[in-house]
Amino acid sequence: MPKLTIDGIEVDVPAGATVFQACELAGREVPHFCYHPRLNIAGNCRMCLVEVEKAPKPVASCAMPAADGMVVHTASEKAKRAQKGVLELLLINHPLDCPICDQGGECDLQDLTLFYGPDSSRFAENKRPVADKHMGPLISTHMTRCIHCTRCVRFANEIAGVEELGATGRGEDMEITTYLEHAVTSELSGNVIDLCPVGALNSKPYEYTARTWELKKHESVDVMDAVGSNIRVDVRGNEVMRILPRLHEDVNEEWISDKTRFVYDGLKKRRLDRPWVARAGKLEAADWRGAMAAIRARLDGVPGTKIAAIAGDQAELEAMAALKDLMGELGSPNLDCRQDGAKLEGARAGWLFNTTIAGIERADALLLVGAFPRYEAALVNARIRKRQRLGGFKIGRIGCPGDLTYPTTDLGAGPQSLVDLLAGEHSFAEVLERAERPMVVVGPGAVARPDGAAVVAKAREVAERFGMIRDDWNGFNVLHAAASRVGGLELGFVPGAGGRDVEGILQGARSGEIEVVYLLGADELDTRGLENAFVVYQGSHGDAGARVADVVLPGAAYTEKAATWVNLEGRPQRSKLATFPPGEAKEDWRILRALSEVLGHKLAYDTPAQLRRRIVEAAPHLGRIDHVEPAPWADFGGAGKLDDAPFVSPIADFYRTCAVSRASAVMEACVEEIRGQQLKATGSDD
Amino acid sequence: VLHDKDRIFTDIYGEAGAGLAAARARGDYDGLKDLVLMGREAIVDAVKKSGLRGRGGAGFPTGLKWSFMPKETDGGPVYLVVNADESEPGTCKDREIMRHEPHKLVEGCILAAVGMGCTAGYIYIRGEFVREGEQLQRAIDEAYEAGLLGRDIAGSGFDFELYLHRGAGAYICGEETGLLESLEGKKGQPRLKPPFPAMVGLYGRPSTVNNVETIAQVPAILRRGADWFAGLGRENNTGTKLFCISGHVNHPCTVEEEMSIPLRELVDKHCGGVRGGWDNLKAVIPGGSSVPLIPKSVCDEIRLDFDDLKNAQTGLGTAGVIVMDKSTDVIQAICRLSKFYMHESCGQCTPCREGTGWLWRVMTRLVEGRARPEEIDMLFDVSKEIEGHTICALGDAAAWPIQGLIRHFRPEIEARIKERAPAAAMAAAS
Repeated sequence: MPKLTIDGIEVDVPAGATVFQACELAGREVPHFCYHPRLNIAGNCRMCLVEVEKAPKPVASCAMPAADGMVVHTASEKAKRAQKGVLELLLINHPLDCPICDQGGECDLQDLTLFYGPDSSRFAENKRPVADKHMGPLISTHMTRCIHCTRCVRFANEIAGVEELGATGRGEDMEITTYLEHAVTSELSGNVIDLCPVGALNSKPYEYTARTWELKKHESVDVMDAVGSNIRVDVRGNEVMRILPRLHEDVNEEWISDKTRFVYDGLKKRRLDRPWVARAGKLEAADWRGAMAAIRARLDGVPGTKIAAIAGDQAELEAMAALKDLMGELGSPNLDCRQDGAKLEGARAGWLFNTTIAGIERADALLLVGAFPRYEAALVNARIRKRQRLGGFKIGRIGCPGDLTYPTTDLGAGPQSLVDLLAGEHSFAEVLERAERPMVVVGPGAVARPDGAAVVAKAREVAERFGMIRDDWNGFNVLHAAASRVGGLELGFVPGAGGRDVEGILQGARSGEIEVVYLLGADELDTRGLENAFVVYQGSHGDAGARVADVVLPGAAYTEKAATWVNLEGRPQRSKLATFPPGEAKEDWRILRALSEVLGHKLAYDTPAQLRRRIVEAAPHLGRIDHVEPAPWADFGGAGKLDDAPFVSPIADFYRTCAVSRASAVMEACVEEIRGQQLKATGSDD
Repeated sequence: VLHDKDRIFTDIYGEAGAGLAAARARGDYDGLKDLVLMGREAIVDAVKKSGLRGRGGAGFPTGLKWSFMPKETDGGPVYLVVNADESEPGTCKDREIMRHEPHKLVEGCILAAVGMGCTAGYIYIRGEFVREGEQLQRAIDEAYEAGLLGRDIAGSGFDFELYLHRGAGAYICGEETGLLESLEGKKGQPRLKPPFPAMVGLYGRPSTVNNVETIAQVPAILRRGADWFAGLGRENNTGTKLFCISGHVNHPCTVEEEMSIPLRELVDKHCGGVRGGWDNLKAVIPGGSSVPLIPKSVCDEIRLDFDDLKNAQTGLGTAGVIVMDKSTDVIQAICRLSKFYMHESCGQCTPCREGTGWLWRVMTRLVEGRARPEEIDMLFDVSKEIEGHTICALGDAAAWPIQGLIRHFRPEIEARIKERAPAAAMAAAS
């Protein structure tokens, strides 16, 4: 361990650390722009110059390996002069338009100028203007402000895995641009906005709508996929102005997907802000009493077996628990949280991402089965790419073709390839055999099909056959795309004894065997035939479910409630209420609690705390927020014949997967421009 | 004064021909097998003892540089890279070698490869050197045909492949790590050091980048002995050197001379003197455009070598001696150089990208006297903000000429500002 002296403070640093990191360890702040701990070192901004004794010139601390016995001065005359000089040079061509710049208030250049910058300019020449570039519907550009730190270029190349950003020209004519001024075709592109230390790359939807200091910041959890990205919801008044990532090393690091970041305009459109009741086949505005009375009237005398409930992809733990309790009170075994028909239930190990997201970094071989993580869980994909870039990580894939941003060995299209692999008929079997910590990821494309249970059983065989299951390593993983899924499975929101699953419920509704269907935010269903049944839709958006409903109960969207979601690893995370639901809409568990009273089956809790106590009684690990309870290996999966059909990812369109994203104009713009570009690039529209 | 017997580049003017037969007649490849069989350590020791310093500008001791190459490797390739991207304004020595003595370079490559355990070599040649590239390629082909390159060179059992790669004419690709990037097919932008090329160089492999002249001098050193080379010039500034004298002399030329020759002697003996006589001299840029100029008072006594010029706050650089007589607008001359550095800055790091443009813009105003006197100090200060703060030496190269100008010709700049001041005041009043 090298020992250095930083401004008179002695520090021991781990081998391989840089002088910059040593300074951080010594508690000395070194100004910097281009350095970012998650990106390769560029050393081009020269802001982090420090004086190292015996070195003839100031040293860029971010790029200099720390060596034993170095004596570093971060604030000596020489170091200060270098830092001041660099900052002056950065500012000469910067427009200094902070009053109209969105970055104002959270700008690295602004902050560092305050401490290291000159108080006036000696630059008497004309400033260099740079033409703005088109980077798609998400990123607005003001390239004159660019300080050429190349963070965005490095992010695109290294983390997003799309080589579409770069610098053209040289000297003072160097400009950052996208390839032929196309939109960046990455689902992680929005992160360059956070990375940009100045106001060159800004959020296009957020542009000029608020100043940062007007915003109230609320910690929350994303529900656009099952990753459970930690987010910060910035609110002005009762309006979500923007969504930013929050650091969580084990989940999303400091990135979020574009859907997570930009979907929020969908929270303001197509909202259900009052109850509706159908009269003569047409929805009419109603009040809460009227709506609940209508439900009571219809349910009167209907046996429990003819009632069913389906929970949607964004339902939180609290609402699902309340609905499950209510269905129990009504005597109905027909409930399901797997609206895509995924054949997952039983032992926890059979439907969790057991390796954990951070655990991917410890794996040394990966087999994707019916998974397309780039769209199903963009940040799991980023983690896989991160691992892949470190080397020594072979990735095999069965089904779901397409560019995942890293190279894969394609083994086949459907379940038969799993059988072949087990028989050792593919060279990838050797890779798995030799690997010390191999992992398999079973995606929604493999389980949401009639032979899903049998596919899971085969994947389980693969895991056991190739040594993925040990005391210190569990390499069996299920990749979910729905935020509610693991929570629902934890609660046992699946058919009870003799109960119907989603498919059974829909069939029953068409045939008349099911008379009442309760949809808790379930919109991704085949709603044909549901008009025969009495449908209660409780949710936030007027989407597919509300269209077939007889009674609409307005609920809260994910930013409008303090609620718990369990991510695909089995990690319970809690959001905070950021805005209030619009109009008469209410938090979802409260609606169910009120309805239970109207129906004469009053649920035994009056506060969120009581409800959560009830959840924790049944499943204690759900009470340990941000803790992943490992699942013991057990028997799961089902028998049955394997189908020959290839695995197909259910997500054909990354930007439109839920009621919120379908209501979002920004997502619509992404579909038009980015998806359009991608299709063109692959030639699949010809 | 260099005697003909001590001349290394005996056909630098191309009188005898550049082909293999002519080269052999001059003594090239003579006893190559024995030289190769000297082995790695003996070669490096000889080069160290000769005192040879890099001829590309920085003057780093060549033997020492070679000794940085790892003694043992994992068996993968180790590269010799020859910097033939001669783009320094005022410099035309490597060009002459490649035109007329290409076999000296090829032979030097072989011996340097032995000295560093290289398996392959790349000569990165400036894009504008079209004919020189053809000549050099011809020499390489001839050498391959004669069994002097490839497998079992001259029966010595040593294998070495040599390739020629053409650049596209960017000055920054002459910086050693920028050159490596360009050679790898990337944008020519210098790399951060450390790691140094000897550890992580071309394609991530151990590599050494040497100048053409440096490499071409190696065979003579090994053949005639390190002591012979070390006996020329002064201590720490040994051997012979190709000087390229341009500008206001009667006969501009490239000439091989002994290191440490007095500037005045060089100009008078080989160039027919300064135009209009020595007293008509105004200033000299002694080592290519990147080094500060020196006024006549310094030129009178100075010797052209690394140490003497360093003491005069300038440098030997590439030994591209640019002579300016009294007819020169020295401010305009330096301004033109500033424009060159602005144009050739790669744009990667801040001080150079932003600073070179600033320097040039202030310089254009100084040329016309369109400035305030205190801006001279500001210009000097800005040049100091660039110097030593950049990834590569281009920042220094942009700063030094201006620093030299201000150091030696400040009164002239001030006079020009003053001269313009009444006119400007009148213009403002009307």
